[in-house]
Amino acid sequence: MIRFTQEQSKAKRMTAGIDDGEDVQLAVRAQMGDRPAFERLVRRYQDRVFRFILRMVGIRDEAMDLAQETFLKAYRALPGWRPEARFSTWLFQIARNAALDALRRRRHIDFVSLTSGPDEEAIDPCDTAPLPEELLADKQRIGLLERALRELPVEQREILLLRELEDMSYADIAATLNIEVGTVKSRIARARVAVLAHYRHHAGESCHD
Amino acid sequence: MTDPVRPHLPDMIRLSGYLDGELDGATQREMETHLAACPPCAERLAELRALTAAFDALPQDTLGFDLAGMIAGRLAAAPRPSPERPAPRWWGLLPASLGAAAALTLGTGIGSVLIGGGAAMPRMAAMSVFDTLPPGGLCLGPDSCYSKGARK
Repeated sequence: MIRFTQEQSKAKRMTAGIDDGEDVQLAVRAQMGDRPAFERLVRRYQDRVFRFILRMVGIRDEAMDLAQETFLKAYRALPGWRPEARFSTWLFQIARNAALDALRRRRHIDFVSLTSGPDEEAIDPCDTAPLPEELLADKQRIGLLERALRELPVEQREILLLRELEDMSYADIAATLNIEVGTVKSRIARARVAVLAHYRHHAGESCHD
Repeated sequence: MTDPVRPHLPDMIRLSGYLDGELDGATQREMETHLAACPPCAERLAELRALTAAFDALPQDTLGFDLAGMIAGRLAAAPRPSPERPAPRWWGLLPASLGAAAALTLGTGIGSVLIGGGAAMPRMAAMSVFDTLPPGGLCLGPDSCYSKGARK
């Protein structure tokens, strides 16, 4: 079963065109003032960064501005980047901060405390009561998922996006969000349970029927 | 969680970690064994997989234009990145600080030689008011001017 997941991850990475070696080469050249090298990095990541920000803030125009701001900030901060850090992780940190700043400005940020992790608070598996795969298949249900995702607290939304859309490992997510890997593990589980619960709510289903 | 007969609450953290291939090898194998014998957990896992599949089906929005080209002008105007220089360590500054101290000392010495005692004289004269020697006197007293042998 897990082999399937790992193969899927590999496939995702390949389609995303991730090549850390090339990232490092380009970033090092950009650090030395090679602007075309940085422009190549922008082209490699512009859509991924834009998608992540768009799912965070929900407004296309704002996401476009924030994506632009992200790359400009990255260019200015480039001297601080070190090859030991994965470039994509570093870049998503900047994108995430830009998105969070925008959400704070709009005061839409949901300050739900996540300090009490699932280790202290049990997850109710009923929140994820049977949800047939076909329910999530068509367009209408994709819309429900998008809505459920938007309604998550930002801490849960961002971690699901990094895992499910960016296919980041727990270690990379931990580096991006500056949290422990154990926290990543529990927070992803909580986020999955929560998004499924929201989905069920909007689909008119009840866990306790 | 290992009892396949008694109904139990699925451990969503483990299931989620299992789905992502992020459990350690032993736990991963333990989960595989458990899932084969626990329909509720297998069902939850299927839901999590369906969720992942649904994320894959989300529209792949794109910017639709070349952002690099758009910001090229602003990149050109931005300060050119240059590798950060490490902060100098204190022993790295040692030769410079020693040189500065030596130059200061030398300069002071040369200055005082060139100026001579002229600048210090008025001060000395003023201080002489409080000296134990009377103005024009050479000795503190007869004992300090003349050795015992000389007196003999």
